[in-house]
Amino acid sequence: MHTILKIYSIAVLVAVWVVLSLLFSADIVPGPIPVFEAIADNLRSGDGWFHLYKTVSRVLLGLLIAMFLGSGLGLCMGLSVKGEKFFESWVMVGLTIPAVVYAIICLLWFGLNDFAAVIAIGVTAFPAVAINMWQGVKDIDMQLIAMGKAFQLPTRDLIRKIVLPQTVPYVLAATRYALGISWKIATTVELIGMSNGVGYMLHYWFGLFSMTQVFAWTLTFVIVLLFIEYALINPFEKRATAWRAVVQV
Amino acid sequence: MKKIVVKNLTKHFVLADRSRIDVVGGLSFDVEDGEFLSILGPSGCGKSTLLSILAGLETLSGGEISIDDKRLVPGENGVRLGFVFQQPRLLSWRSVRDNIKLPLEHGTLTREEQVNRAQRYLELARLQGFENYFPLQISGGMQQRAAIARALTIEPEVLLMDEPFSSLDELTARKMRAELIRIWQETKKTIIFVTHDISEAVYLSNRLLVVTERPARVYETVSIEVGYPRDYDDDRLFEITKKVGRLFLQMEAAHAT
Repeated sequence: MHTILKIYSIAVLVAVWVVLSLLFSADIVPGPIPVFEAIADNLRSGDGWFHLYKTVSRVLLGLLIAMFLGSGLGLCMGLSVKGEKFFESWVMVGLTIPAVVYAIICLLWFGLNDFAAVIAIGVTAFPAVAINMWQGVKDIDMQLIAMGKAFQLPTRDLIRKIVLPQTVPYVLAATRYALGISWKIATTVELIGMSNGVGYMLHYWFGLFSMTQVFAWTLTFVIVLLFIEYALINPFEKRATAWRAVVQV
Repeated sequence: MKKIVVKNLTKHFVLADRSRIDVVGGLSFDVEDGEFLSILGPSGCGKSTLLSILAGLETLSGGEISIDDKRLVPGENGVRLGFVFQQPRLLSWRSVRDNIKLPLEHGTLTREEQVNRAQRYLELARLQGFENYFPLQISGGMQQRAAIARALTIEPEVLLMDEPFSSLDELTARKMRAELIRIWQETKKTIIFVTHDISEAVYLSNRLLVVTERPARVYETVSIEVGYPRDYDDDRLFEITKKVGRLFLQMEAAHAT
């Protein structure tokens, strides 16, 4: 039922695209066929894979940094009132600063290299992770912890068997959110200061006024992100929350 | 033989505004080995706090508790305690069997022994066939039975129960009480059962303590010398229930003046 709805929604989206492409010239809205041809061309040349690989690796490394820093800070804020009061304003400031500012600062500090790109992505995405984890830790059921203590569970078991499983939905939400942010900031960094990657290619084709290629590169990355969502995050979520799915029948 | 001796126990909390709440005010009683003792008192009188202190979840402010003649040190009590809470407090991402197995997993048993032990108490709680169900798939009564099985699976010397049946409908609660008596007689545990339900306390226990409003003190001790299994319609139990009801009214009148 849900799968059919999903297919239907994508079909509607493509139909809207086709209609728009018929209404406007190819310079403004190119149709699906030339765009997919461009994607195929890009990937056949080998160059396309290289740029894609560059961006994906930057996004994933940045995401890793964001998850690491964000989880640490979120845990600290969720577990201690002092930590919460101390870091709350930091996270708010971090969220308020536009992503492009982080990109500019990192490029000026570290130069036009991968390191700057990864740091910019990590720093931009981590406040969002911190907020999710903070909320997740605060929502932990203290009654279950008291239960664990009453049965004399060692601290290690309390964390592994009672605390962590409760944070799974928040970790997933944080990952999704951070992945979306990471990809956006990655394109920005590449557009400003890199000589490869999807952002660079967008910049390049923007210079040549090729709407077809701009569409092609955007779509390529959307497909990659959808792949990550449906091939990695979604199956993990299904497994981790299997106990919940059975109730929703 | 005395299993637990509580002498002049006090407990107070200090709130954020530095005001002090006396929850337990000099409580003394003892529990015989294998006894079913109920602690009966009005809601919010500090009964649950008493159980938390016995389980090492809270510290005591004054007085002394000894179990098996050894003084209780919070967090490192030598005696094995099972705890059944008012709510089942099961882990919803674990199957019924794995929930019951949870308190065994950090012990010395092998994996196979853990599963066998969990299975034994799962069957004692009449949950066979539901081993692989998740808590949200079974009824509230079954969840509470799983919680009782979890507390029994560590083969505790003392079982602490904090209004375990108060969230169930009366019919289910009656069945559960009968089951509890059956399990108690099979396993010979010492049970401390906290409740505000007079007829429940009278039906279940060898002896019951009537406890005053906060700060909790023992107002009266009532022995119930009626053999098990008991019948809800037993006139002797009914007489005791009436007597305890009158005690409550007296206690309130004394408190009001």
